[in-house]
Amino acid sequence: MRAVTTVIESAPLTLGELARAVGAEDQWVVRLVEVEILHVDTPSDPPERWHFRSADLQRALAARRLERDFGANLDAAALILDLQSELRRVRALMHAHGLA
Amino acid sequence: MDFKDYYSALGVARDASDDDIRKAYRKLARKYHPDVSKEADADAKMREINEARDVLSDKEKRAAYDQLADHVARGGSPDGRFRQPPPGWDEGYEFHRGPGQGPADHADFSEFFSSIFGSRGGMGGMGGAPRGPYRERGEDHHAAIEISLEDALHGAERQLSLRAQEIDAQGRPRLVERTLDVKIPPGVRPGQYIRLAGQGLPGHGGEPAGDLYLEVRIAPHRLFRVEGSDLYMTLPVTPTEAALGAQVTVPTPSGARVDVSVPKGARNGMKLRLKERGLGGKTPGHLYLLIEIALPPADNDAARAAYQALAKATPSFDPRLNLGA
Repeated sequence: MRAVTTVIESAPLTLGELARAVGAEDQWVVRLVEVEILHVDTPSDPPERWHFRSADLQRALAARRLERDFGANLDAAALILDLQSELRRVRALMHAHGLA
Repeated sequence: MDFKDYYSALGVARDASDDDIRKAYRKLARKYHPDVSKEADADAKMREINEARDVLSDKEKRAAYDQLADHVARGGSPDGRFRQPPPGWDEGYEFHRGPGQGPADHADFSEFFSSIFGSRGGMGGMGGAPRGPYRERGEDHHAAIEISLEDALHGAERQLSLRAQEIDAQGRPRLVERTLDVKIPPGVRPGQYIRLAGQGLPGHGGEPAGDLYLEVRIAPHRLFRVEGSDLYMTLPVTPTEAALGAQVTVPTPSGARVDVSVPKGARNGMKLRLKERGLGGKTPGHLYLLIEIALPPADNDAARAAYQALAKATPSFDPRLNLGA
């Protein structure tokens, strides 16, 4: 069967689509924006007009796992995800300079 | 395929409580989390404990797994190898996600897991549904797809084999295998998701099927390392090329060869940037060349004499000046 494929970047997800993709309620995604796990270009717009890309889906999935596997609340999850991306950025930089 | 002992993977007893399982999982997850672990097999261990937790923390899956384990223990598999679950082993069980259990993302689970719970090619296969008339859109599913760097650059068509558990007309779960042709668009980057509309689990009561999300991963390449949309390659140069500067020819991921100027006085670790020769997309990444000075071997008289002549010509050069010794 030939499937219709789209890279999220070319057709960003709506709030409802992101929520469904991570098995959560819309309101949970709104909370992710409130605690700044997700960043939207126009936070003052009504949530129905927000759009999300691959990196957002990845972070939302990671937040969902932290919540489920460790009972982390979303503020703690936000901090963990920020530390994780900082760690990966520093490691990439070390690689780029031949230090790791 | 070996039978997987999920209890020993988590180091808990067969009668462990939910709380024991949660605690054991959290302890091991901290030990083997790939971002912090120093263990060589951290990735594999993390996958194993994720899989064990997924099964043992779900009442229905755990009960079905226990029944299967009993069957194997009673000699269901004489040589200790596990081939496939016996027919009808899962009768009476329905695997479905409870509220708050999160996404069915079993991208990294084993073949053993797939053979029992119906997930393959990275596709989460749980998602049986309660019986009776009701309407619900099918669940979205997650899987990973690993492609070569060349496929990421040029795009490709890949065949993906998926096995998922579905509910038949009599309300019984059964495994359904299907093959999908997936079109990988050119310029895709690692960490991006490809969405396949309507390829998740089927809906109920006339509602549409869910979607399938494929996370793109790029297989390690012999020459190029991928960092986001940028690529890195080590560029070996001779001491002469580094000292005096040179034009060298390098391969690029698109297959084209390009001439690059190594600047005079180039040093180890110096980065040269080939603009927009990285992965494509709206804002193409760059290709970085990391200079690595390779010493010619001093394995003949002429080479040894040349090294000695170089030392004589640069008497004030002291690479250990800063050591103060």
